Amino acid sequence: MHFSEDDLREALKRKDPGEGFTQRTMARVNQAGTEGTKQPATKKANGKFLAWWMLRPAWAMAVVAVLLLAFGIGGYQYSEYRHAEEMRMARVKQQQLQQEAERARDQAIMALEIARAKMNHVLRHAQLQAEPNDKIRRERL
Amino acid sequence: MEQTAAFEDDRLNLALNRALTGDAQAFADLVREHQGMVFSIAYHFLQDRSLAEDLAQEVFLELFQSIDRIQSPAHLTYWLRRVTANRCIDQGRKKHRRREMALEEAPEPMVASAHADPMLLERLQQSLATLPERQRLVVIMRFQEGLGPAEIAEVLEMPVNTVKSTLHRSLADLRKGLTRKIREVRYAFF
Repeated sequence: MHFSEDDLREALKRKDPGEGFTQRTMARVNQAGTEGTKQPATKKANGKFLAWWMLRPAWAMAVVAVLLLAFGIGGYQYSEYRHAEEMRMARVKQQQLQQEAERARDQAIMALEIARAKMNHVLRHAQLQAEPNDKIRRERL
Repeated sequence: MEQTAAFEDDRLNLALNRALTGDAQAFADLVREHQGMVFSIAYHFLQDRSLAEDLAQEVFLELFQSIDRIQSPAHLTYWLRRVTANRCIDQGRKKHRRREMALEEAPEPMVASAHADPMLLERLQQSLATLPERQRLVVIMRFQEGLGPAEIAEVLEMPVNTVKSTLHRSLADLRKGLTRKIREVRYAFF
């Protein structure tokens, strides 16, 4: 069956809501007016917010998906940051330990040097004590 | 003709200004002026007289509460169309109902023009009720309100190209729906 746009216009012609619609509407408006306009305004706002969820489930799903994605990426980046930070701290600690070890080795070497010098000195004195000739000893000293 | 339109505009402007000051009679004039439009959008969408009346009253109640935001008669018409469309979608989702119409709920017979076929018009309305909500609203805005794609896009918050494609698809669906109905009738008879 074919129809023209005029047929569609005819089918969708404006209809009259009937006798007394204005009076019924005004009665409702007056009733709402006497009940106070502030309260319905808040209710309406809540209703709108709820209606947003109900009317646009696709949008709500998209928002949830974006939030999950954002949290996921944020969490991943935070864990990456934590890992990098731990690695950096470990490297710094290792460097500190290495420096301390080098310092300890240097100190140990110095102590050995001092000990060696003292030992040589004592040894030389001991050898001189053993020499009978005082002259030779003085010369050597 | 232009003079009548200008006079009408002045009258509505005056009523709006008076309604803004809290004049109930002026608000009633505004309701009387726009009730046909609001009720018809709701009725063509919901295909239920009492639901449509209830919805139209809610729209006017909301208008009463937000009248201070209305800037001009044109803005009022736009606002009413938009709020009615949103409430229609809301109502449609709430009910999740397909068209179930008792005989006594049937619309009053239209004053059909000389060339209009009443059966075709009824079938068109039935097919319209089977369209998805957005498509139905686009068709109603186009053929009841006579809006162009840009205006429909503004009222329904859709891109203009989407409106055009939706309109095209809706008309195709309506044609398909009508053909299917005719076939069903033929099978029933033969």
